[in-house]
Amino acid sequence: MKRILCLCHDVTDADIRRAVAHGYTHPELVKRFTGALMGPCQGRTCAESVMAAIARETGVDPASLQLPTSRPPAFAIPMGLLAADDPGPLGLEAPSPGERGDEGETA
Amino acid sequence: MTMPGLATEPLPRTASVVVVGGGIAGIAAAYELARRGVRDVVVCEAGYPGVGASGRNGELVRSAFASREWATLFDLSLRAWQTLSDELGANTLFTRAGYIVLATGDAQVELCRRSVERHRELGIMPTTGVDEADIRRLLPALAPGYARGGFYQRDGGYAHHDATMWAYVQAAARLGVRIHAGVTVRGISVSAAGAVTGVETSAGDIATPVVLDAAGGRAREVAALAGVPLPTETQRLEAIVTESVAPFLRPGVALLDALGYCHQTSRGEFVGGTEVPGAPMPDTMATSFRGLVDAARKFTEAFPVLRGVRVIRQWAGIVDITPDFAPILGRAPGVDGLWLDCGWGYGFMAGPGAGKVMAEAIATGVVPPAMAPFAVERFARGEPIAEGSIVVA
Repeated sequence: MKRILCLCHDVTDADIRRAVAHGYTHPELVKRFTGALMGPCQGRTCAESVMAAIARETGVDPASLQLPTSRPPAFAIPMGLLAADDPGPLGLEAPSPGERGDEGETA
Repeated sequence: MTMPGLATEPLPRTASVVVVGGGIAGIAAAYELARRGVRDVVVCEAGYPGVGASGRNGELVRSAFASREWATLFDLSLRAWQTLSDELGANTLFTRAGYIVLATGDAQVELCRRSVERHRELGIMPTTGVDEADIRRLLPALAPGYARGGFYQRDGGYAHHDATMWAYVQAAARLGVRIHAGVTVRGISVSAAGAVTGVETSAGDIATPVVLDAAGGRAREVAALAGVPLPTETQRLEAIVTESVAPFLRPGVALLDALGYCHQTSRGEFVGGTEVPGAPMPDTMATSFRGLVDAARKFTEAFPVLRGVRVIRQWAGIVDITPDFAPILGRAPGVDGLWLDCGWGYGFMAGPGAGKVMAEAIATGVVPPAMAPFAVERFARGEPIAEGSIVVA
């Protein structure tokens, strides 16, 4: 059975196991090796399960693992909103995590 | 921190060459030294290979620069990139998608026209001038009328920086290079006669007659350990990445007048960086809102389709940049055995070729012609290298 942990990039439990077996054991390197935590949700959906899988494969306490750095923006933002001189009321609305909506301008 | 190819045994007490810095500059030079038969090459990396700018860059690859010096040096790399995956035995994910430099203003259009003539004279991998019709064909998503000229290099493109670093690390390790992560170089010992005798590190001392400073954003601090001042300034470069979208952009792109560079990854993400002339350049890997907005404005102007595409991440890396933005390659003045491979702002794409010339210089004692113009003495002589087709500021 395929267990998908990172929904953005379809990274499976087996992918995490493979990364650790190759020798990429640090969460930052597992991230870069598998693409987990690097999609539109930036780990907000999957970090817990990805980190748990790394902890299990490396035999350490999940609390001891260092999460990869969080970076701006806090939520995915359309480039048209960032570029606008006056984004208007849309600029005050943060899209919901994971929402694939049509917020903001579209091209 | 573990990674395939890293040394697990204790740091050796002696070495023939100690490379300070496990970015692409240091690892590629170490790999090329080992290929030439130099034994006991040790790399000391304070973090892990690729933790600095080698793993935080725009991933673009070209040799089409405006100046003879840049084009000649970077063409060694571009040729190496074509077959690097085969050579290293691991996929660098180099994509030969082409690279286009776009000009909007008259001065830049003319610079590009002259550059193509120079590329032909130098015999670098071919470039062609592009007019507005060529640009529409190569970049259908570009805003109509955005660019009036430029040049295109078919054999350029982009590579995956992590895949490339990991390929180099493992290939170097197979040839006997010992790459130690988590080891900080704290001192460089120099004899009364002015020759390198060793390094002091966080994991013990190593006796060595040769040290290569390839410490990226920390290169000035490392050179200072041997009393060598470098005319460099630590600067932050910022970049953004978007969610994956359907392919709309094939080649790597430089926007000369906007000081921007970008490409669309094989996974569909748009990745790019822009510079704001005169903006503060703090020594930090934190990002700025100003940088985020600047990138959004410039890239949506160039590619209107991006207006509805979401930025998911902004990041930064640090470089130690020179007054003419060209790297420093060569002997450190006044200290025998200390070599400089630093000052890079385009270091990822230049890595494979720079590793070759640096290894040749160290192994033979003769600096190859492609490397010679980049000696640090050019600044003291007041003869910087003039390169007009770069997009750092």
